[in-house]
Amino acid sequence: MTEVSGKNGKAGRYDAIVVGAGHNGLTAGAYLAKAGLKTLIVEKNDYIGGAAVSRELHEGWTYSNCSYVCSLLRPEVARDLELGRHGLQVIPYEGGATFLNNGDHFGSYAEHNAFRREIQRHSPIDADAYDRYSRYIMRQCRFIRPLLLRTPPDPVSMRPKDLQEMMFLLKRFHDLGAREMADMLRFWTMSVGEFLDEFFESEVLKAHFAGSGIIGTGLGVYSPGTAYVLLHHYMGDVDGSIGAWGFTRGGMGGVSKALSLAFMEAGGEIVTGSGINHFLTENGQVSGVVLDNGDVYEASTVVSNMDVRRTFLEHVEEGELDGDFIKAVKRFKIRGSSGKLNIALDSLPDFPALPPNSILMQGDMHASESLDELERAYDDWKVGKWSEEPYFDMLIPSQIDPTLTHPGKHMMTVFVQYAPYELAGGESWNGPARQAFADTVINKIARHSPGFRDKIVHMEVRTPWDIENEVGLTEGNIFQGELTFDQLLFNRPVPGYAQYRSPIKGLYLCGSSAHPGGGVMAAPGANAAREVLSDMGRAAVGNGVMGRAA
Amino acid sequence: MQYDTIVIGGGHNGLAAATLLAKAGQSVLVLEKGAQPGGAVGVTRFKDGGSVPRYAHSTIALGRQEISDLGLSRHGLTGREAPLSTLLLSDDGRHVYLDGPSVAYADGAAHPDAAGFTALRDRLSRFADKLAPLVAAPPPQLEGGDWREIVGLAGLAFGIRRLGAVDSREFMRVLLSNVYDTVLDEMDDSPLAALLGVDAVLGGRQGPRAPGTVLTLLQRLRNGGNRIVPKGGMATVVDAFAEAASAAGVTIRCKTGVTAILTEDDRATGVETEEGERITCGRVLSSLDPMTTIRLTGIGQFDAEDVRRVRNIRTRGAAAKVNLSLSAMPSFTGVSDKQASGRILTAQGLGDLELTYNAVKYGEMPETPIMEIVLPGRRDAEMGATLSAIVQYVPYDLQGGWTDSAKKTLESKVLDRLEGFAPGLTASVQEAEVLTPVDIETETGAPGGHWHHGELIADQMLMLRPVPGMDRYEMPVSGMYLCGASTHPGGDVTGLPGCNAARQVLKGLKKRAAA
Repeated sequence: MTEVSGKNGKAGRYDAIVVGAGHNGLTAGAYLAKAGLKTLIVEKNDYIGGAAVSRELHEGWTYSNCSYVCSLLRPEVARDLELGRHGLQVIPYEGGATFLNNGDHFGSYAEHNAFRREIQRHSPIDADAYDRYSRYIMRQCRFIRPLLLRTPPDPVSMRPKDLQEMMFLLKRFHDLGAREMADMLRFWTMSVGEFLDEFFESEVLKAHFAGSGIIGTGLGVYSPGTAYVLLHHYMGDVDGSIGAWGFTRGGMGGVSKALSLAFMEAGGEIVTGSGINHFLTENGQVSGVVLDNGDVYEASTVVSNMDVRRTFLEHVEEGELDGDFIKAVKRFKIRGSSGKLNIALDSLPDFPALPPNSILMQGDMHASESLDELERAYDDWKVGKWSEEPYFDMLIPSQIDPTLTHPGKHMMTVFVQYAPYELAGGESWNGPARQAFADTVINKIARHSPGFRDKIVHMEVRTPWDIENEVGLTEGNIFQGELTFDQLLFNRPVPGYAQYRSPIKGLYLCGSSAHPGGGVMAAPGANAAREVLSDMGRAAVGNGVMGRAA
Repeated sequence: MQYDTIVIGGGHNGLAAATLLAKAGQSVLVLEKGAQPGGAVGVTRFKDGGSVPRYAHSTIALGRQEISDLGLSRHGLTGREAPLSTLLLSDDGRHVYLDGPSVAYADGAAHPDAAGFTALRDRLSRFADKLAPLVAAPPPQLEGGDWREIVGLAGLAFGIRRLGAVDSREFMRVLLSNVYDTVLDEMDDSPLAALLGVDAVLGGRQGPRAPGTVLTLLQRLRNGGNRIVPKGGMATVVDAFAEAASAAGVTIRCKTGVTAILTEDDRATGVETEEGERITCGRVLSSLDPMTTIRLTGIGQFDAEDVRRVRNIRTRGAAAKVNLSLSAMPSFTGVSDKQASGRILTAQGLGDLELTYNAVKYGEMPETPIMEIVLPGRRDAEMGATLSAIVQYVPYDLQGGWTDSAKKTLESKVLDRLEGFAPGLTASVQEAEVLTPVDIETETGAPGGHWHHGELIADQMLMLRPVPGMDRYEMPVSGMYLCGASTHPGGDVTGLPGCNAARQVLKGLKKRAAA
């Protein structure tokens, strides 16, 4: 548990207040505090971390009950904030598998030659194509990674900083050369299904890779733009190994804990247990926050870690904003599309498809064997049903991280796609639907793991509705907004307000609603802090966050 | 006989390219496999004398530039044709009628979303006009464009900026957005909301929720997005293109299929016909799709990477055509004859459209197909009591294949749907013709039976069409060009791919002459 009790104050004056102690709020807070600002973070829950939490929801078992794996966290941020010294430890996992209905499996090995041999077993042609595919993806990653910690330019603005940044981006793009530019344009606009169809023939291999293109989105594998989402899952790294994923020791709360320690070491304060009621404003300038418990904190800089809809539609008085801005915020698409099961297991489940003691079991496991199966799962969601044959991303981190539970016992996290926020016919999630949803998933797991049901000691079922209620993510969307091109870069979250600022002076956004979007990346938090400091005329903190303030 | 240029395929794009080259002084031969020129713009004649446009039953209004460059106005295409009205059939009987700027229920009552719809359509049309210069020219080059192009692009950017800060931001946001959200952000789902969705996806294999469908829609909203049927019917379109070509001095030979494109030292030198005749020429323009063109030339002539890219072009069509001969003009309940004289759509909403799309992804037939219907006899009595329906979404790759019974199933699904709006229609059917995407492919050569010879969506548009490296109409074999719908800006009867290709050929010649 990473509960931090602040000094439950009644009132106070700060240089800056951050609303929401999610990983981006903590990141922004840490950068501001390190710059010497007297900074307060307020959090509605009585624990910090937002969606990056470790919670003991069943005695003896620690769950990463929301986000569950780590890769995207920007290494620059980890260096600037010395997260290693503050206890952050990421352990890479080296396998993964997709189970087939015929009892076979497709194994994904981090070790290149082993992976090639496995692909060869399914399709010799695809083994050759895989090298071409990896090179292609790597090229896209190399292009995009440095952009994550830069503020997107406003293409309509004529300010020197925006023009300079536009030129920077155009030059970077142009430097690729004609063929690569064309490839990149295609990649950004294609569907992940069609992209994979161009490389591979093996259905299971395509299905295995395609999952990354749809996780967390309201799109199907054949929706244009999902190839880019795939990239969103490849551009991370663990200890410099690009594309690798790992477990945070002690659960995902470890990220938040390290961030909060960095924040507090720099003199920051955290108050938990009461959410914000509303922002205080005076003549279009923010002046502080009023919490639900009545506490009032003043500051002329307030940074919101909440998503854009929550920030402006629920906590700003309507008269403070003009109609066009409100309309644009309402139009911003934040669609709940995923749920989660967190399961305490009495012992390690059996997966007869895998060789005994297989390394594949230590990583992400799935059971969707074709693109059509994935696309049909999306079709269900479109009409307000959870997928009859859901895609899931299932991991058992306790195999690698012994701190999570008792020896011999295990913790399993199952991310499930798709689950709608609103069920057809207006049925409530807070009823039999929740269990029925869980049963659908458990039944599918049990098809590949005999006796699975009997090993369950405790299970937490999280629907989009639950995630919204507990974490505060609108519709339970893990990215605080769809990652479609009309909501990326200078369009995220609202055209004209993509530089972390808002129409209210002094009020900033630092959550995943802002560029570059979701995932436990900490980039929006770091970028927002840089803009705040720039507006105050202060120097940016750290060497890692290189992008210039706009 | 030796020609300067041989154009393979006498569809309207082949004819357009031929005309411009002939007007520039070249000797041009067009070779058409069928009995007459026209490609996808033919006519079906029924036994009882009625007739119906075989494939395309309307066209988007041709650009003024093309009409004047090709000299089409002298041959019946004036560019001043009155736009078709649109009737949106609703299951609840509250049909919507759009004629010019007016948007109202068919019974004359005001439509609650009329203002919202009009504002959106006008805004998108404004955006479409900003993009128009991109369509009427070869796609911009990513690298090494000459100063003229760069100035042109800067002008385009400036034109967009001149929309004002708010609108230009909106432009950049919706450009790659999906038509479903773009419309439903402004109004509730209804047949009226479906209209822009249908315009975006008709003929293609995308649902309205697919990001990028707004860009496809913008391409069709040029010149106000009007659809027309010229005086004298769709046959006039082909005739005009063919007559304009002949008038410019083009030789058109029908019933002459091409079996090979001849090359020498990496250069196209002529063609060989089905009869084994070899005709030599300075260059070859192919209005066929790139894969067929590559096969005619010999795959060995091309780089393996280029062939791979061409193979990957998505060309599976999703629209069928059903043509009916009826004993009497159909009567749609609650609709006047005038209201039924334009296009008639059956989509009940964007949600309906998206759900109908689901089936095609798996090679299945939709439960309730969505149709764009035209009654040609309402505008031209000579065509008789016939009905022409474009049926969406009908898979090219139907599971189990397009057997006769599968075609019968499709026919009855279409008739069931029609019967609901026009009781008694089924009983009046005298003859029915079902053209599946496979039939369309066989008859017209359009790969996958796809209208556009390749899906028209962001990653297959502009410089990515048909594939990077062939986007400027030039094939890697010298003296060989593409001029069909597979090239920028894609299908619909616009003549633009043909015109752009010909202009590109002429530009290359000028450059060579200068050097």
